[in-house]
Amino acid sequence: MSQHNAPVQPCRREFLRRAWNGFAMLPFAHLLQPRNAEQNGGAIVRHHAPRVRNVIFLYMDGGPSQVDTFDYKPRLQQDDGKPFAMPKSPTQFNNNGNTLGSPWKFRQRGQSGLWVSDVLPHLAEKADRLCVVRSMTSEFSEHTNANYFLHTGSGLQGRPSMGAWVAYGLGSENQNLPAYVVLNGGLIPPGGSDNFHSGFLPAQAQASMLRMRGEPLANITPHEKEQQQQRRKLDLLDKLDRHTLAATNQAGPIAAAIKNQELAFRMQTAVPELFNLHNESASLQRLYGMASDYEPTRSYGRQCLLARRLVERGVRFVQLTCMDTGHDRWDQHDNLRRGLEDNCRMVDQPIAALLTDLASRGLLDETLVVWGGEFGRTPFAQGKDGRDHNPFGFTMWLAGGGTKAGFAHGETDDYGYRAVVDPVSIHDLHATILYLLGINHEQFTYRFGGRDMRLTDVFGKVQTQLLA
Amino acid sequence: MAQDSVRVLAIAGLKLITSAMLLAQNTVPGDAPFDFTERQRHWAWQPVKAAPTPTVRTTDWPLDPIDNFILAALESRNLAPTADAAPSAWLRRVHFDLTGLPPSSAEVVSFLSDHSLPARALVVDALLDSPHFGERWGRHWLDIVRYAESLGHEFDFPMPNAWRYRDYVIRAFNSDVSFDQFGTEHIAGDLLTKPRIEKTTNRNESVQGTAFWWFAEQTHSPVDAKQHQANRIDNQVDVLSKAFIGMTVACARCHDHKFDAIRTADYYAFYGFVKSSRYVQQPLHVVNAAALLLARNAHQQLAALATMPGLQPVALPPLRSTDRLLGDCGAPALPTGFTTIGTGFCSAPCTGPFVIRQNEHSVTLHQLPGSWAMSTSTGSQATGILLSPDFTILEDYLHVEVAGENARLLLVVDGFNLLRDPLYGELHRAVNNPNPHWITFSLQRWRGSRAHLQCIDQPTQDLADPDHENSEYPSDGWLAVRRIYYSTQNEPPRKTADETIAGSTAGSASVTLSTNGPAEASALAAYRAALEQLPPNDTLPGMTDGSGEDEHIFLRGDHDQLGKLAPRKFLEAVSGSAPMTLPCGSGRLQLAESIFAPSNPLPSRVFVNRIWHHLFGRGLVRSVDNFGRLGDLPSNPQLLDHLALAAMANGWSWKRTIRRIVLSRTYGLASNDESEAAQAIDPDNLLLHRQNLRRLEGEALRDSLLSFAGRLDARMGGPSVPVPLDSDDRARGKPAESGPLDGYGRRSIYLAVRRNFLDDLLATFDTPQPFATVGARNVSNVPAQSLALLNDRFTHSMARLAAEHALMLQGNQKKDPLDQLFLAAFARNPSPDEATDCNAFLNAHLAGARSTDAWAELAHVLVNRKEFQFIQ
Repeated sequence: MSQHNAPVQPCRREFLRRAWNGFAMLPFAHLLQPRNAEQNGGAIVRHHAPRVRNVIFLYMDGGPSQVDTFDYKPRLQQDDGKPFAMPKSPTQFNNNGNTLGSPWKFRQRGQSGLWVSDVLPHLAEKADRLCVVRSMTSEFSEHTNANYFLHTGSGLQGRPSMGAWVAYGLGSENQNLPAYVVLNGGLIPPGGSDNFHSGFLPAQAQASMLRMRGEPLANITPHEKEQQQQRRKLDLLDKLDRHTLAATNQAGPIAAAIKNQELAFRMQTAVPELFNLHNESASLQRLYGMASDYEPTRSYGRQCLLARRLVERGVRFVQLTCMDTGHDRWDQHDNLRRGLEDNCRMVDQPIAALLTDLASRGLLDETLVVWGGEFGRTPFAQGKDGRDHNPFGFTMWLAGGGTKAGFAHGETDDYGYRAVVDPVSIHDLHATILYLLGINHEQFTYRFGGRDMRLTDVFGKVQTQLLA
Repeated sequence: MAQDSVRVLAIAGLKLITSAMLLAQNTVPGDAPFDFTERQRHWAWQPVKAAPTPTVRTTDWPLDPIDNFILAALESRNLAPTADAAPSAWLRRVHFDLTGLPPSSAEVVSFLSDHSLPARALVVDALLDSPHFGERWGRHWLDIVRYAESLGHEFDFPMPNAWRYRDYVIRAFNSDVSFDQFGTEHIAGDLLTKPRIEKTTNRNESVQGTAFWWFAEQTHSPVDAKQHQANRIDNQVDVLSKAFIGMTVACARCHDHKFDAIRTADYYAFYGFVKSSRYVQQPLHVVNAAALLLARNAHQQLAALATMPGLQPVALPPLRSTDRLLGDCGAPALPTGFTTIGTGFCSAPCTGPFVIRQNEHSVTLHQLPGSWAMSTSTGSQATGILLSPDFTILEDYLHVEVAGENARLLLVVDGFNLLRDPLYGELHRAVNNPNPHWITFSLQRWRGSRAHLQCIDQPTQDLADPDHENSEYPSDGWLAVRRIYYSTQNEPPRKTADETIAGSTAGSASVTLSTNGPAEASALAAYRAALEQLPPNDTLPGMTDGSGEDEHIFLRGDHDQLGKLAPRKFLEAVSGSAPMTLPCGSGRLQLAESIFAPSNPLPSRVFVNRIWHHLFGRGLVRSVDNFGRLGDLPSNPQLLDHLALAAMANGWSWKRTIRRIVLSRTYGLASNDESEAAQAIDPDNLLLHRQNLRRLEGEALRDSLLSFAGRLDARMGGPSVPVPLDSDDRARGKPAESGPLDGYGRRSIYLAVRRNFLDDLLATFDTPQPFATVGARNVSNVPAQSLALLNDRFTHSMARLAAEHALMLQGNQKKDPLDQLFLAAFARNPSPDEATDCNAFLNAHLAGARSTDAWAELAHVLVNRKEFQFIQ
């Protein structure tokens, strides 16, 4: 595979390890440099020309139904209410009913003629921007395993999240903000914050959780009543630290910790500035749904707008979590109609606006937008009116730089149950995301526990058919 | 090819495949072929060799042979060690290294007046004797065993009594339990013929080590239980092998190890030991045989006074052709393969009446018809578990004849012990009916799986305890078990028992004994007095033996593709290929004996290297958990072997090994070096021409803040203190209680370790996520750390307390508050320049010159200072 690189790899690794863990060499080069891909660590793991600089991952916590949104199956409608005609694999709740047709009408949209159901009216209008993958597969039927798998490439707890890998490999382009940000709407997905963790990678790579309520980032608000007071303290601190620096003969770790503190000080300004939306026009805010009469839409709209502001500022990997719609996320074990409708209502208008806004600012070309959950849902009912977890075939979509627009890839069977044409695994998705960022997933490794670990383990194939 | 086959299977929906499974097929071109003999030449497999103490040119420098090894290596490169550390720096370093806490002001003042070598030895001995030693080194060990008090994944269920293991570890360090004993207790503490008993409480220390097996994460309701078992055992083998022998045995799960002399058969040999063992809540206390006999006799005498109705035997119906007997626990001896835990169940079945409720004035007895295995050897207060042997589920139903109250039956399939809805709820059955009845398990879903039955006379006792967080179980449950049948029929064999009680329509009878009579009153008093002599029914997660069974190699890691049988044994590279002689049961004790055999070169090196790592910030082998070929080479192999031999000679003593190292000249070197030669020749300080500058770990940092503030509460042990939580977030498994900001002043090791809800401050400062062995923590440098120290309410409140304390001392003892703050923070007085800077700050403070606010702000600056956060 990457044999010709073998002599180089350990040195790179060593370089990274020192820079990150041992404080030596160029501490915080990636954080302290201005927006310049060649100087912020990006050169270290860039294997080819990148197609995008940033990723926005619209994570649909709970597993949205493919057969009610993007994967149109006439047969499913025909057989509604009949016994399910295919063999069923074990499901988590083991309470399987008959075939359950979709309560929503599907239509072909835009120039591309992509099928999108009526439950997503705003996104339907953006069909020509979407690269829909209808043949996603996962390996786990349980939320937590599937969440870890989607986020980290392993169904077990404790591995680095893809955002952490990206942050580790490419760093941030902003000197005042971290490389990997999760906008936390208040719902922590099953599996907890370990979905966003740096695992065995250095802690720098882990997500900073920006909260939508209260203090946006832990400890970002100065305790001192006036900034001047904190400034005076920091002046004294600076003097005292310089004594330490002199006494330790300019020890690298001390110098690096001082720089880190200066960054933290600047973040105290940068983060509130990020959240200050006064400069965003009222019409734009309305476009994002921030004037909606449905609270989750308003909140998700604000997250989407913040996501744009984050990528605008050079944050590499932005992930959005969902709001509470009162239906236990996208996990419609029953009451499919109300549950899915409310969830779609939450995200539909804001995401459509995000695509429009990114495009109008020229940011969509350098940003990859990824939409989806940890698995899909069964085409047969759970109980009367729900759908159980289905990792065998489901839909995600990509949009933005480097991907085909108005394009559908792969197919599930006649019922939308299992991927049968061009299945795409989570590893393939990860490989493709890294590829678009200029990283070869097979060469991007970190040694831990006696192995050179990869986001894609020993799997993953870049899905070139998705690329423009 | 591998990819395609994954997809084919996924499309067919035949099974879910984990990523680890197909590693074998993805061979990297250029990988060395598996040449076992060649791989065995790797340094780590070689015997530990004694080397003569090297001669050195600067003969007056060494204080210990350790220094000769270091100095000889330096001199061979024409390097000289740097200067000795300043006395205050040495004192602060050794305090943090041995106890995780800074020296007190008084200790600093005293040491600065005499810092001679004998004075240093006295300091070190006092620190090794301090109970804080165990808290410090115990925390290091908890990283190795991925200690946590919950199971992670979706609901992050709390694991009952996990904290008791933490206290066991602290006690073990404080009493300097030898590493081989400590390790044996971890692997097989439940099997020792002479366990270590704490005399005053009769507490069995050894059995508590086995809790370490169970800090593996657990998925709730896995669709494939055997896959889950394979993942869990992978983690258990991984932690075991890294912790004690520094080898990555789990890398051989899907194929022979890519780099080391470890075969797939070695991995599945280890797998067999774990698979042959079971989770139970192990009783903490050894019950004194005499006291138990006394209580049983008193129980019988009391029971004999009750007049119970007579029995009316009824002929046993013939066995149905649809049924097969798994065991008749009412037979004169327990059926083959059945075992018990605790004192509740006797070795033989019981027939007589037994106490189910009692208080000072009254006692209620219960009678079942016929003979049963009963957990009532001393009445309902006794607790016990009855375990069946492993069996394969061939029929669709299992019928168990029981009676009991506050009791449970667990059917453990493929070792899966987290029995909850959906999917597993029906394997966890409450027994709450004192009359004989049948409990029927429907097993269609698990046909072909291995299983065993656990009969427990307490309300809940599987791996998790969501309902009784950190609380004790009521111990008044009781359980009687008789016949257990496999069956193809849903209907139990008979609706009624084979005997009935005269006048009882229910099938059993209870009577309340009048204690007005003197005989009854005195029998009750004697019984109650005898119960008083029994220890409490405390338990903790632990191991017990199941049926000893070897596992097959899973081809390419796929548990449905069985290859050759891999008999249980220790690594071929150490113990050869001859089979291991094993008794019945798991054989874990024999595994432990092989691991700690003097001929095994691995554990002694791993042991001293871990100690070295914690005293220098880097091991002699930097990859402390991996001595294989992907690990680092020893920077000073002769010294490593010298220390390993010395450790074995001194009885694997942590304290003696630590004492020697911290009193060496090398340990006492300054951490900074101005020599350009050293910078050029040894920039990474591999040769240790100086000490390493180290940042405090999260725990030490938090504990120093408490100590600086005078807020440290030195109480040891007990249930964990909940951590403060973000009140806004909704998350599954979120603890009901958010803890106090300062953790009641308790040391960080006592903060709750809930996998999905770790303490923010500790996590920010690199306290690892508990999922795998972490012998060497990351040391990151992230803005969240600076922000926590700058703006966290906890930091501010500790600074204010420190200022108030210093001002109080000024009032009481006329001590200069600036000196006090510097002594508490940095173990030294301020320099004139520092005093000038600080006084200028205090005098110009907006809140008023030298006001309490000003002092609090100054104290806050001091904890933000890098000197506070680093060990020089």
